[in-house]
Amino acid sequence: MTRFIIIRLLQAVVAIIGIAVMVFFLVRAAGDPLELLKNPNMTEGQYEAMKVRLGLDKSYGEQFIVYMGDLAQGDLGTSLLKQRPVIDMIKESLPNTLKLTLPAFAIGMTLALALGVLAATRRDTFWDQGVKFMAILGQALPGFWVAIMAVLVFAVYWQILPVAGMATPAHYVLPVGTMVFFTLPGMMRLVRSSMLDVLESEYVKLARIKGLPEKTVIWKHALRNALITPLTTLGLIIPGLVLGAVITETIFNWPGMGRMIVEATFARDFTVVQAITILTAVMVLGINLLVDISYAYVDPQIRYEKS
Amino acid sequence: MLSIMPNIEDKTRPRISGLSRGARILRGLSLVIPATVLALMFLTAIFADLAWIGLPDVGLSPYHPNDQVLKERRLPPAFIEGGSTEHLLGTDNLGRDVLSRVIHGARVSLSVSLLVIFITATIGTILGITAGYLGGRIEGFIMRVVDVALSFPGLILALLLATIIGPGYMTVVIALSALGWAGYARLTRGESLRIRQSDFVAQARVNGASTSRIMLRHIFPNVLNSLIVIMTLAVGMMILAESMLSYLGIGISAPTASWGSMVADGRNDLDRAWWISTFPGIAIGAVVMSGNFLGDWIRDKMDPRLRQL
Repeated sequence: MTRFIIIRLLQAVVAIIGIAVMVFFLVRAAGDPLELLKNPNMTEGQYEAMKVRLGLDKSYGEQFIVYMGDLAQGDLGTSLLKQRPVIDMIKESLPNTLKLTLPAFAIGMTLALALGVLAATRRDTFWDQGVKFMAILGQALPGFWVAIMAVLVFAVYWQILPVAGMATPAHYVLPVGTMVFFTLPGMMRLVRSSMLDVLESEYVKLARIKGLPEKTVIWKHALRNALITPLTTLGLIIPGLVLGAVITETIFNWPGMGRMIVEATFARDFTVVQAITILTAVMVLGINLLVDISYAYVDPQIRYEKS
Repeated sequence: MLSIMPNIEDKTRPRISGLSRGARILRGLSLVIPATVLALMFLTAIFADLAWIGLPDVGLSPYHPNDQVLKERRLPPAFIEGGSTEHLLGTDNLGRDVLSRVIHGARVSLSVSLLVIFITATIGTILGITAGYLGGRIEGFIMRVVDVALSFPGLILALLLATIIGPGYMTVVIALSALGWAGYARLTRGESLRIRQSDFVAQARVNGASTSRIMLRHIFPNVLNSLIVIMTLAVGMMILAESMLSYLGIGISAPTASWGSMVADGRNDLDRAWWISTFPGIAIGAVVMSGNFLGDWIRDKMDPRLRQL
């Protein structure tokens, strides 16, 4: 087990270093950031001073060593545009993103469980068809469009919900709703199919034969086992959450990480985009690692073997 | 891939035998309607105008998609008060005909998704078959990269690329291809692992066939079925992804009509011209859903095992 964890941990570190190296060269290949910052009124001396201050007077090799060294110490660099440490900007925006993501994740999971179980236990009935139809619709409609339609109906036409700002709970309804839309359909289908599998298993039949009430069978025996599959795909939900955060924050002008990276993209603020890319990679790999490890604890068949 | 969620499928087979007559008709419709929608979209994309044979003014599109008539801004669609049959779906904030732009948008969506699917399927299949057939360290390395690519948020990569090479058609294609190949690699590797064990591969090896010949002539034809299924299912996903990148402004840039950027164009006019954002979104939804239905149907016919993916 320890061996498994150590090897997976090393693999994750190698992957992160790989991504950091890739980002470094991609950004350098794009052109000189000095071109963007140059100001026609600058004297030669000021230009040189700026170059030294940003560390761009050194060769690529030296720059690379400084960059990797800073990264290893958790220094994500300074925003070219705002002239402040990226880490400070993230400290301001990350909580705002979490205020959307966490409630959306909790609501999405709860709904997915409730509706998935509902559909699986009433297979091929009206309820099942309804849930399946919702999932199909949810996976086909673009999230940004659904959010805009929600704004049209609730904020423009009926005027019962606010669109911008984050002052009252009502301000959270549309953004969180949009975020839920991004993860719910997939989760719902997954819970349904995994529940259907479990309901046909021997131990559920045994529980029924024992005469346990149907409620206990479904919610205690079946659901617990049906949850293992969705748990392992938790890593695959992260791209969905990132996507949801970026889209939701741009539509509702929410001051979080998603809007920050979109703004940095258009301002060509390389250091910010680079920092968020690396941070996201660390997060994704970290969560995948946790999922792998927890799964290895749950299921003794999974062990690291040298292939 | 820039999918919103991986295409998670129900493992259980539908109970076809006991279907009632009504249900059987519904099943039939679930093939006919999507196929019709996709065929219409295909024809629309081709015949939007005939510029490709030198007739830019002839075609399905009533106006040129980029023609601005500033006097006719935000005209409502024909079926509501104030609208006219001159502009069936109304006009946008620059006085461009919404219907013409929706028609031309089909071109972008279709060409991006087909191009990306072709690139990703080619790269993914080559790497997947190589990994599955050769095994060992090469397989270990390829599959680690696949793992990273599968869990990396494609949107972040697209944003990074957009800062580096700027928004545009090629940015979308590169961004969607850069991670999209991984799904194909994982699929074809799994299949190759299975096919590698079969007698005809052993026989080919005994007869002295080279490694590349075995991979091309013996393994590839046998993964083709699954490959076609996954490629069909990818059409909807790619159209959705393209529209999202264009919506964010890192995809197809103005003035070219793309469904995603049209939705973005109407964002600030929701209170006075709801139709600008609404119609392109309906087009996306209809086409993506048709693609998914058709993909499901092809999968059930060609390779029901793939339900487990």
